[in-house]
Amino acid sequence: MANFFPRWTNWLPLKITICGIVLISAVCGATWYYDTPKYTRVGYQPVQPVPFPHDLHVTQLGMDCRYCHNAVELAAHSNVPDTQVCMNCHTQVQKENPKLQPVRDSWTTGQPVPWVQIHRTPDYVYYNHSAHVNRGISCYSCHGDVNHMPVVYHAKPHSMAWCLECHRAPENFLRPEDQITNLDWKPDDVEPAAFVAKYGEPAGVKDDWSQKKHLTQREIGLTLKQRWNIQPPTNCQGCHR
Amino acid sequence: MKRILQHPAPNETGRQYWRSVGELSDTPEFRGWLEREFPAGAAELGGDETSRRSFLKLMGASMALAGFGLSSCRKPEMHLVPFTKSAEWVIPGKFLYYATAMPRRYGAMPLVVATVDGRPIKIEGNPNHPESNGASDAFAQASVLDLYDPSRSQRFVRQNKLSDRATFEKYLAELRPKMAANGGAGLAFLVEETWSPTRDRLRTELQKQFPKMRWCVYDPLLSEAQHFSTEMSFGQNVRAIPQFDKADVVFALDSDFLNCGEGDLAAVRGFTSRRRVREAKDSMNRLYVVENHYTLTGAMADHRLRFSASQISTITHALALKIAAGTKDPGLSSVLITLKAPEKAEKFDERWLDEAAADLLSKPGASLVVAGPQQPVVVQLMVYAMNVALRNVGTTLLVREMPKTARAISILQLASEIDAGRIQQLFIFGGDPVYNAPRSVALDRTTRRQLDWADLQKRVPDVVRLGQYEDATSALSQWHVPSAHYLESWSDGLTNGGSHVAMQPMILPLFGGLSEIDLLQMVGGQPAPKGPELVQETFRLTNPPGDFDTAWTKFLHDGFATHIPATNRPAKFNGNTAGGVAHTLWNIPPAPTKESPEIVLVPSYAMDDGRYINNGWLQEMPDPITKLTWDNAALMSPAYAHHVGVKDGDLVRITVSEPPPPEVKPRPGQPPTPTPPPRPQVQHELVIAALVMPGHADNSVTVSLGYGRKHTGPVGEDAGFNGYLLRTSSNTHFIVADGRVVGSVTVKKVGTKYPLSITQEHYSIEGRGLVREATLDHYRADEDFVKKIAGDEELPAQLPSLYTHPPLTAPEQWGMTVDLNTCTGCSACVIACQAENNIPIVGKLQVGHGRSMHWIRIDRYYASAKPYNQDHNEWPENPEIVHEPMMCQHCENAPCETVCPVNATIHSESGLNVMVYNRCIGTRYCANNCPFKVRRFNFFDYTQRPVGKEKIGGFSVYQEYLGPFTEKGAPDTMKLQKNPNVTVRMRGVMEKCTYCVQRIEEALIAAHVRAGASDKTLIPRDSFTSACAQACPAEAIVFGDIADPETRVSKVKAENRNYRLLEYLNVKTRTSYLARIRNPNPKMPDARNIGVASPAEEKA
Repeated sequence: MANFFPRWTNWLPLKITICGIVLISAVCGATWYYDTPKYTRVGYQPVQPVPFPHDLHVTQLGMDCRYCHNAVELAAHSNVPDTQVCMNCHTQVQKENPKLQPVRDSWTTGQPVPWVQIHRTPDYVYYNHSAHVNRGISCYSCHGDVNHMPVVYHAKPHSMAWCLECHRAPENFLRPEDQITNLDWKPDDVEPAAFVAKYGEPAGVKDDWSQKKHLTQREIGLTLKQRWNIQPPTNCQGCHR
Repeated sequence: MKRILQHPAPNETGRQYWRSVGELSDTPEFRGWLEREFPAGAAELGGDETSRRSFLKLMGASMALAGFGLSSCRKPEMHLVPFTKSAEWVIPGKFLYYATAMPRRYGAMPLVVATVDGRPIKIEGNPNHPESNGASDAFAQASVLDLYDPSRSQRFVRQNKLSDRATFEKYLAELRPKMAANGGAGLAFLVEETWSPTRDRLRTELQKQFPKMRWCVYDPLLSEAQHFSTEMSFGQNVRAIPQFDKADVVFALDSDFLNCGEGDLAAVRGFTSRRRVREAKDSMNRLYVVENHYTLTGAMADHRLRFSASQISTITHALALKIAAGTKDPGLSSVLITLKAPEKAEKFDERWLDEAAADLLSKPGASLVVAGPQQPVVVQLMVYAMNVALRNVGTTLLVREMPKTARAISILQLASEIDAGRIQQLFIFGGDPVYNAPRSVALDRTTRRQLDWADLQKRVPDVVRLGQYEDATSALSQWHVPSAHYLESWSDGLTNGGSHVAMQPMILPLFGGLSEIDLLQMVGGQPAPKGPELVQETFRLTNPPGDFDTAWTKFLHDGFATHIPATNRPAKFNGNTAGGVAHTLWNIPPAPTKESPEIVLVPSYAMDDGRYINNGWLQEMPDPITKLTWDNAALMSPAYAHHVGVKDGDLVRITVSEPPPPEVKPRPGQPPTPTPPPRPQVQHELVIAALVMPGHADNSVTVSLGYGRKHTGPVGEDAGFNGYLLRTSSNTHFIVADGRVVGSVTVKKVGTKYPLSITQEHYSIEGRGLVREATLDHYRADEDFVKKIAGDEELPAQLPSLYTHPPLTAPEQWGMTVDLNTCTGCSACVIACQAENNIPIVGKLQVGHGRSMHWIRIDRYYASAKPYNQDHNEWPENPEIVHEPMMCQHCENAPCETVCPVNATIHSESGLNVMVYNRCIGTRYCANNCPFKVRRFNFFDYTQRPVGKEKIGGFSVYQEYLGPFTEKGAPDTMKLQKNPNVTVRMRGVMEKCTYCVQRIEEALIAAHVRAGASDKTLIPRDSFTSACAQACPAEAIVFGDIADPETRVSKVKAENRNYRLLEYLNVKTRTSYLARIRNPNPKMPDARNIGVASPAEEKA
């Protein structure tokens, strides 16, 4: 009987298997990397109708986040400011700046400025700003150093796993209530003696932290977590309804 | 050791609970419903029109098309659109609450409306107003859907051609000189009752311009008889207001006072407050009901007598005689003195009435006799006289002063004016007279032919119709003007009890509609008001104290005026006037017989008078008694149905004929006068599906009104049968062959069947001791009787569970109680839940397949001592009814959780059984394993794609089966109604009651925000509640934190009537029920059949 299969075919199954494994791994790896919010979201920087420079307004002029995003402490949504808020100053300052033309147009016509949305949670996620900023989570934790961004971009992935990182260990992110909108805050800025005097120490800590030179984020976080009874939900109902 | 679950044997108490005739006779269809978690066919793809094969064909085609459509893989650019100028109070995404009121037939209902981003989404009762106390009813809850109804009228129409507002204004200006001619003698208004002081004021002002104009108020269900009788009895401008909370004994004569659809929530609250038995020593009221068909009130009765509606006069007369004998009251005697007992009246058990009368007599000043507003004047007068005799006026019956209103004419008077050609301009506000005006409303002067409203309306040269839909009335009008919804307009109103309430718009008119006030102002030659000026003007006339602007702001904020006190008139009964009137009007038709039954026309619990015909929520709300959706039916007793030879869904033809015209005999000696042309004998006919209803009076057929209204939109187009076709001006409530105005009434089987979608057998749970009840005496003798039913006491203290459960560590633990003793079954909770939780409607066919989506269903159980006798086909004649609201019980050992392969339903630390829509892959194992059958599955994409019948190329197709071939996306206005805090579910996802988790989280977040930099994170006690509990007018549902012993729910759970369902399954439900207690009068002949576990029953 003739030999149908030439000799080289002996290796064929192994080659196919190896190639298959490589291919599948590549597809999986590529999907893993390119399909996650880390790739699809982080760095998203759309062109806005008005190139509003956050760095100029916040860092140079010293404006607080809440001057424009005034509902952040009250509501689930942190609002984008009304044209009126822009015009509070820009009827006086930069009156002729051509970059501000869309804002002035909006003011005269009554048509809103169509800001492009950068941070977007899916419809089944019920994120609430007020629950976070009133309880020791800074804007920085989710939005990055917006105060140094000439044009805002998506700084953190905002995936569910990323949310849970904090919900499982909030001590890594909590900060004193008066530093929420201070995006340049560092744990080193905290004066240990004053901090301990104000918030005490977590139960079970034997050392005297007020004598320390610096407090770590974890130490600050654990203190505040216990002091404020921070128990972030890790159950579905916390965010999905 | 394997534990084999043995359900306790049913009927241990010798009493049967059954949900339908099918269940009682154990039909194969019922077995099918019982044994499956979803009904047979619910899981199958195929409908009547599409098989699985054709569906695959369609799918193949659509997949091919989809290939062309992969237009973009890019991230879609989305915009954030802020206001240009800030709006007062508005915080994006936050709810804002405004007080307003809903105009209703007997007075406005005070409400608070939740708006978000400028759109009203949810309606609640006004908690500060004593007549609402935070409660509302199904109509108020559902009215928000009407606001967004895309089939609402959106345009000005002139002679059925599109026009616009400017043209209409020009037309009005041209019409004004014509109207002014002869002092407005040709001008008439036909309006509905709205109780608006501003409208009344504008009408009076208009009357100055047009002194001879006519003002007609017509509402098919508004009772003239009761209003007239009250004035005859107690004087002008008063209203009798029953105080059920003060009555120990209530006797209701064909009165459905617990129907909150009539808008009297205070009555429901008052009555149920006296049925809330917290412990055995508490007292409880007693309710006697005489009625022909089961109503919500009848279902609450302790003693109920089936009796023809047309014969209520007989029994009222008999009762009044007994009361008169017992009290020797001169007022009552003066009414009764000239009334003779009818001869051919229906017979009843004298002893029943004797004992009931004795019970009333034993509680002078704390009893109450009420009659339905539709009953004739004589009944009303006798009832008032009885209450006076029983010294109830001033205690249980208040005579409230109402503001003086100008008189209006009736539709009959208006019809005869039109017939005489005197009306040239007619303005019709709301209503739909072509649909709901009495048939044969006038007699043509020349041809002697009976005329319907449609014929009359064509004779008026200029008819302007302000309407919500372009309906049959609009089609016969010169102008149709779109009307604004009450949530879009400024107005005011008087409540049932006469308090002054504000109505303010929540949103600008979506479709450019005008309000009645706007149009009245325009008819008067003024421009339509821009804001609240006219309402403010009326409010100014009430002399608010202090600064006007402050008072006005307070009025809008509170929703009602506090400076106008309600005054009651002292009890002074005009016996002589009443006696005279009673004597003139005393006329009892003969008792109905098998051959000549009575036809009783009643308001529908879902459609009211037909105004909610295009409201999908109400269409799909199962009728509280019949559990029928999307239709009405001719209700009849099993015996009568047997006589006619029909079963559920068989069509019957109801024919009502006039008596033959009397022959005119020429007088002897005189030349014969020219005889008028022979008038054809008028027949009114209705073909309608029959529905057998245990507890219905024999020889009586009940038809609910409000269905069969056409030209209003796709939702209600095919729903039900038009009962108005039988209704004439002399027979507004019941039609019985009296030989005077009605010659004969026949009910004949047609021979064809009509599909009815009845939910009563869906989701059946048989014989598991779910409903528990006892008499008050039994309860006092044995406080823990609830534990002795269904074998709960045999349960080991703590059964081990096979599965691990998350620890219940949260500070708040949520739970609920439902008091079966106060639940009237009104279904306000069903609609409140639907509005709150974005629950879709599924259409008649899908309801028929058992796929309705309601998260709460109200199980209606009949209870009877004597079961159905199959050999003799004998039915329990007068079974009792128990309502049991059933929603997810939030079991701590939830059977659904253990079977989900993808962890889509899990338990939270606060004891909620949560449903994660994104994880759900639709295996439906959970529903299969749920012992309560409360899980609902999205078989179709109800929110994205249309459902229901549609004519496509000559074929009638159910659109849900067309899948991708239908247009995707809900109408924009319907999207506006959705609650933004609740996920809108898609096809293939399981859902169920969440205990309003969005409200829980909202409260939790608010508590944390308030806590800020502190640890005070507890939610304030009883600071919020679930949507169903909030809507309930009877406060039967209580929701809250069971970890805190001081909350309302914890206190209720501590009562000894509290029991949990299926305790022996060790599911540990979080929702528990309070047993029903009935309070029968032991002297009554039927006492031993009432209440399940009564000692008499056990002995028997």
